[in-house]
Amino acid sequence: MFKNYLKIAWRNLKKNKGYTVINVGGLALGMAVTLIIGLWVEDELTYNDYFSNHDHIAQVYQSQTFNGNVSTGQAIPRPLEMELREKYGDNFEHLIMSSWNISRYLGYKEKSLSKNGNYMQRPAPEMLDLKIIKGEKDGLREINSVMLSASSAQALFGDEDPIGKSVEVNNQYDVAVSAVYEDIPANNSFSDLDFIMPWDKLLATQEWMRNAVDSWGNNSFQMFVQIDENVTMEGVTKAILNSKQEANENSVLFDAKIFLLPMNDWYLRSNFENGKQYGGRIKYVWLFSIIGAFVLLLACINFMNLSTARSEKRAKEVGIRKSIGSQRGQLIYQFLSESFLVVLFAFFVAIVIVFFGLNGFNELASKKIEFPWSNGLFWLISALFILTTALLAGSYPALYLSSFRPVDVLKGTFKAGKYAGLPRKILVVIQFTVSVAFIIGTVIVMQQINHAKNRPVGYDKEGLVQIPTMSQDFAGKYDLMRAEFLKSNAVVEMSASSSPTTQIWSNRSGFIWDGKPEGFQEDLAWTEVTPEYVKSLNMKIIAGRDFSREFASDSSAVLLNETAVKYLGIEDPVGKFLRDDNDEDPNPPLKIIGVVQDMITQSPYEPVKQGVYVFANDDSSYYNLRLNPEQSASQNIAIIEGVFKEHFPDLPFQYDFIDDEYGEKFASEERIGTLAGIFTALAILISCLGLFGLTSFVAEQRTKEIGVRKVLGASTFNVWNMLSKDFLKLVTISCFIAIPVSYYVMNGWLQDYPYRVILEWWIFVLAVVGALAITILTVSYQAIKAANANPVTSLRTE
Amino acid sequence: MIQIQNLKKSFRTEEVETLALNNVNFKVEDGEFAAIMGPSGCGKSTLLNIIGMLDNPTEGSYQFAGNEVGGLKERQRTELRKGNLGFVFQSFNLIDELTVFENVELPLIYLKMGKSERREKVMKVLERMKIAHREKHFPHQLSGGQQQRVAIARAVVTNPKLILADEPTGNLDSKNGIEVMNLLTELNQEGTTIVMVTHSDRDSHYAHRVINLFDGQIVTESQNRAVGAMI
Repeated sequence: MFKNYLKIAWRNLKKNKGYTVINVGGLALGMAVTLIIGLWVEDELTYNDYFSNHDHIAQVYQSQTFNGNVSTGQAIPRPLEMELREKYGDNFEHLIMSSWNISRYLGYKEKSLSKNGNYMQRPAPEMLDLKIIKGEKDGLREINSVMLSASSAQALFGDEDPIGKSVEVNNQYDVAVSAVYEDIPANNSFSDLDFIMPWDKLLATQEWMRNAVDSWGNNSFQMFVQIDENVTMEGVTKAILNSKQEANENSVLFDAKIFLLPMNDWYLRSNFENGKQYGGRIKYVWLFSIIGAFVLLLACINFMNLSTARSEKRAKEVGIRKSIGSQRGQLIYQFLSESFLVVLFAFFVAIVIVFFGLNGFNELASKKIEFPWSNGLFWLISALFILTTALLAGSYPALYLSSFRPVDVLKGTFKAGKYAGLPRKILVVIQFTVSVAFIIGTVIVMQQINHAKNRPVGYDKEGLVQIPTMSQDFAGKYDLMRAEFLKSNAVVEMSASSSPTTQIWSNRSGFIWDGKPEGFQEDLAWTEVTPEYVKSLNMKIIAGRDFSREFASDSSAVLLNETAVKYLGIEDPVGKFLRDDNDEDPNPPLKIIGVVQDMITQSPYEPVKQGVYVFANDDSSYYNLRLNPEQSASQNIAIIEGVFKEHFPDLPFQYDFIDDEYGEKFASEERIGTLAGIFTALAILISCLGLFGLTSFVAEQRTKEIGVRKVLGASTFNVWNMLSKDFLKLVTISCFIAIPVSYYVMNGWLQDYPYRVILEWWIFVLAVVGALAITILTVSYQAIKAANANPVTSLRTE
Repeated sequence: MIQIQNLKKSFRTEEVETLALNNVNFKVEDGEFAAIMGPSGCGKSTLLNIIGMLDNPTEGSYQFAGNEVGGLKERQRTELRKGNLGFVFQSFNLIDELTVFENVELPLIYLKMGKSERREKVMKVLERMKIAHREKHFPHQLSGGQQQRVAIARAVVTNPKLILADEPTGNLDSKNGIEVMNLLTELNQEGTTIVMVTHSDRDSHYAHRVINLFDGQIVTESQNRAVGAMI
């Protein structure tokens, strides 16, 4: 029986090629989109699954309240380690102090490579369950050791066995390779872990870190834990919540709360608002899941509409089958088998589309997703996906077609009833509601990105290059290098700073100033800069003056940004002081000598943070070079590299263009915008395919009517109008539904961005006009073809 | 085989109710060949549909082989139809996407008959209808007469007790028409009961009995003396 059904389905597909192309093509496209989104969602949801202990690993987070604003982050103070070990140790299998992911020059023989990694305490490899390729898992036992990822080891040692070999770190000290571990995959929070060195090694080389052992106010470290099998994340969080306040009185002032953020939440749910988890990347997972489901629904709607529109052609068959003994259930089964065949066919086409499209998608989405050919679970889910789609697409046509009464259809006089087309119309309205909402959503996302991109940044980011200078090799060489670079003519100005131009690395509090309100807890972005900073970045001084080497007193001078002036509430700030709040051993007071225009350093969607630029002579993390505009950037870079290599022959030359770095701030939103744009275009294409098919059926059904009308004098326009207006009406209804829905959804989405675009009426008008134009284009081909047909031929067809 | 008593069938639309059959009474005996005649719209096809259990009467009794079937549900009617009834239509009503063989095979599939048995039966009936050489052809590749022979083959392949023919020669030229009527007569002579709706006086002469309908009522019933005279 099933064979008979498949045979008839296959012959039907072969016979109606146009219908098959539209149906299979639309479904394949829809399924391909859903498959790609499915793979993306799987990749997002399994982020960090590489570690076998991921359910039990967490990072220790801290929330503090400054003037009613709760700020949450991973930075914790060093003494918290001992506090947690001593008082709450039972909760943890492992507790690991770690540096941030930092860059180090690793040298072996003539080779020197810049690699990123962490300094971590001894049980880190066990907690992360690193897969050791060579050497020992307990590779951080010796203070002078390093564990390397397989690719780092390969890059540094080639085919040599690296175990026991000596690696020079930042030209400062030597460590021996104790282990090589398998590279951590891309969809992982530790994917940048090229090396791990012992935490104690970092302490041994950094005095300020050693000094921070009792400093509860220095939140500069991070801590990872693996909780005990017998406790829960929530339970541990409850236990340690007030641990910092209990150990340190000052922390009460900031209401410091210590809690665990489970590893499973690091990637998707690490956004905080007022100390609570809020939004994060998970919202994009939801967004794309919904898009995937809708695109598949659109394709299924095409299948339903085209199948039922062809009902009159299938009615006779239903009648015959029923008259010779087929039960309705058997017919339902038959039509579902047909939809299964179409869906199966479409699935194979979709697999081909996904296979060839995956590389492009990976590039757009910045992913490394591979097609899971050998994953049994994938194929099992695919089988379920095919069945679900076949049921979703085939159920309505099966129920509708199998309901025909043989008496009505066998005489050949069957005509679908007055309301038979209503479900079809409703489905078209659903399709276009989704498509119009997608159009509006995409336009608003793009607008928001452009809005933020066009925001004044407060400095000139074009022709500005930064070079990282965190190695000891750079110590004390700022003046020399500045002179050398300026002499080379590739650079017109240069400065150094403690943070990169596009980020804030340090925040400070503990100041007093005239007129400071009682109980005010300030939180200031803190950047140490050489006196040429403002000039090299082309920032604008709006009050007072810039730093100057002419004035010796400038060594304790600061510049405020505009927001800081408002934030601190200092009227006429130039000449006033920020004094240290510490009574015992206060730092010298800082004199405010000027105010600079606000400069975007963090998120371009957020307000600029109140910041202080502090005079520094040398110690820095970055050189900022203003390139010579008279020469090409590549020429300038080649010259700069020459100068760099002359002075640092053993270090690799690394640099970043600031406008690229700044562009990275939009990367996530831009990727989302581009992908949403592509999926919207595909959704519209699928809807149009359906509309095209439907118009051709309507034109075919009304052939006689068109012939009669033409004989009676109807013009091509009259016929076109007659056929198009029904669809235009449906699309107009869709617009009326889509506009309020998308307004509501997108307005909610924009609320997450303090610096956001205003929703303007023209976006909605544009979407409506676009949808109507697309409809007219789609419908017109068939409508004009029908209108131009010779009425004699069309009348004879009846 | 068929006993119909006080049978009524009405169709209701939003505005009017039309009485298609009004108090119809008649019997068809086993092995009989009955023809139903009458002008267009007199209720012939409605009556045939009810006899064929494609439709239910509004009122009255319809007994098939001694069982009341007038009020049966769709599912029960289908079960009863299967294997007991064969249909021959004016417009052949073959499934365009199936070959001659597959069309004839279809009722046997619904009877859940095994593959080899099906093949044997289908080939036998196709040979009898002299269409076996066309078993792999599709309906549109055949002439009207050939298509109707396939339709008859499909109707008889299950050895039904009753064949219902709705204007079986309506779409055929006279030569093919005669051929089809001869086939039906042959089947009748072998014991199959036949009820046929027709407009054609000539075709009605093949029947034992002619029932004339007018405005939903039987107006006359006449016995044919010279059955098979035109064979």
